[in-house]
Amino acid sequence: MSAFLVANIAPIMFAGLVVFLLLGFPVSFALAALGLSFGLLGIQLGLLNEALFQALPERIFGIMSNDTLLAVPFFTFMGLILERSGMAEDLLDTIGQLFGPIRGGLAYAVVFVGALLAATTGVVAASVISMGLISLPIMLRYGYDRRLATGVIAASGTLAQIIPPSLVLIVLADQLGRSVGDMYAGAILPGLVLTGLYAAYVLGKTIVHPAAAPALPPEARPLRGWKLAGRVVFVLIPPLALIFLVLGTIFIGVATPTEGGAMGATGALVLALVNRRLTWSLLRQAMNSTAKLTTFVVFILVGATVFSLTFRGVNGDLWIEHLLTSLPGGKLGFLIVVNILTFLLAFFLDFFELAFIIVPLLAPVADKLGIDLIWFGVLLGVNMQTSFMHPPFGYALFYLRSVAPAREYVDKILRKPIQGVTTGQIYWGAVPFVVIQVIMVAIVIAFPGLVTGNLEQTKIDPSKVQIEIPQEPQEQQQEETAPPDFGAPK
Amino acid sequence: MNGLLALSRAIDFANERIGRLVYWCVLVMVLVSAANATSRYALNLASNAWLELQWYLFAGVFLLCSGYTLLHNEHIRIDVVSSQLSRRAQVWIDVFGIVFFLLPMSLFIMWLSWPVFMNAWTSGEISGSAGGLIRWPARLLVPLGFFLLSAQGFSELIKRIAYLRGLIPDPVEKHKDPGLDLVLDVEKAAVEQGRK
Repeated sequence: MSAFLVANIAPIMFAGLVVFLLLGFPVSFALAALGLSFGLLGIQLGLLNEALFQALPERIFGIMSNDTLLAVPFFTFMGLILERSGMAEDLLDTIGQLFGPIRGGLAYAVVFVGALLAATTGVVAASVISMGLISLPIMLRYGYDRRLATGVIAASGTLAQIIPPSLVLIVLADQLGRSVGDMYAGAILPGLVLTGLYAAYVLGKTIVHPAAAPALPPEARPLRGWKLAGRVVFVLIPPLALIFLVLGTIFIGVATPTEGGAMGATGALVLALVNRRLTWSLLRQAMNSTAKLTTFVVFILVGATVFSLTFRGVNGDLWIEHLLTSLPGGKLGFLIVVNILTFLLAFFLDFFELAFIIVPLLAPVADKLGIDLIWFGVLLGVNMQTSFMHPPFGYALFYLRSVAPAREYVDKILRKPIQGVTTGQIYWGAVPFVVIQVIMVAIVIAFPGLVTGNLEQTKIDPSKVQIEIPQEPQEQQQEETAPPDFGAPK
Repeated sequence: MNGLLALSRAIDFANERIGRLVYWCVLVMVLVSAANATSRYALNLASNAWLELQWYLFAGVFLLCSGYTLLHNEHIRIDVVSSQLSRRAQVWIDVFGIVFFLLPMSLFIMWLSWPVFMNAWTSGEISGSAGGLIRWPARLLVPLGFFLLSAQGFSELIKRIAYLRGLIPDPVEKHKDPGLDLVLDVEKAAVEQGRK
């Protein structure tokens, strides 16, 4: 019995992980307990040094003093405050009228505003909810196809996951041992291409089914001509200023991503204050939610750290590495398997869990195969974005469900009854966008230059960023980067 | 059981107060960090003490709010399987998890990290960077945080058992924040307010 245990402790531990996580007890505690119990077992069996856990307080201390993770509460807080600033509403209202006259106009407006909001905050819920509350009723009023309307809102909301400054990219950068700034630079082009693909889907839909997304009638667009143009410029100022404050300062190198987050949060506070929307109750709710989110996120990391301390101790990382390097097809085979795995896991894990549990196991293998870790991170980021939108557990769909009318209601303007949106419509609406997401993963695999090209250019000359997208082999990039620390807690 | 339930209420009360006090650190942290960035760039002034204060506050938030977050049942779970089970079965899983996962884990980490704090306290350990902060408050946060977590775990255990014995209504409902998700309610209220 114990000989079998000794030989197979890593696979047994991994199987235990799956079982315990599926039990439905909080992930962080299950992870930590699993690490501790297998650690004690390993010490009993003589596999591990008795001093194993003496390293634990120092590891936890490393998490506490981790400058990168500090950005998590900043960006969360910023997103929450920004909601009350009224920015999203102004944007949707104005941009909706700008695109209104063309077929599918509101859908384009949602994609565009989604991308703009994504570039100012890193939080999905914020965008989905405001777009669901503001754009969805208008789309329903003028006879948009329900699946298209809900799908485009949910998907555009998840753009916050891949367009910098996203929380996913921060956490991935931390786990991959790369700089957040590089991760941001690498993710910009893929994020924009993805936005373009969403818009292209809307275009395709309006060509095939013109009735699915009609243009807005003139009475729905009170602003015209110069008045509208002036309004557009005016509403674009706050988001652009915030984008500069956060991303600009990071890319010029004035601020670290953490400081950028703090600047952005302060900017959001100022914006809300100027618009007279900052109240004590909002401030308290935002701090409360931020504190709880930060706590559970960091606790998953604490749990994962305890787990990996033991898992590495029993050479579990070597076991995983052996499994993955023996895959046929070398680099490409590895990437395809990893992406399918991530896609499937994303059905029931959310991205924090994926990033803290799965990524540290994959990163060393990817690095050994000569895969650029920034590229790998962006690829995983695009893939994990699906975890927000695939039915039935995608958060974006939950958020949308909570704000979409469930029952028939009487529209205020048309004075006509309008059917509620069914959960089935929301689920089916998300499917085409999940497919787009898979296509995007394939594009990033096929054209690493989308990520790495941008990266090298920003290092040389920021003004040349968007000129060319060279499709260079990523080995070139590899030579310049330092060996990773495998995402080990510092 | 009544005595235990009273203890549980006391723990809940304490963690609720602590959580509500500690979440102000989020705002302080934002302002301190923004001020640090501004002063470094605009005035070319940087202070290690202020930089370290950022992460002292960060550590304070996640460690001292761990019990508070547990009280509000907001540590992430994977509920794909468990959401299919009856409420009683879910509560049994919680009882099992608290007894075998949470309590041993948090008591063990508390026990491991206490000597580290004592060491920092007696030796007067100071940050390695020039002008850095004294270390014992940060070292103290770990055992303190895990103490609060253990206490809350104990309180949750009492409430779960009392629920299973039919003594109290579902304890999770009582402390649930309104709305679907932690960020949801804020935003929903915000957008609705904004539209008026």
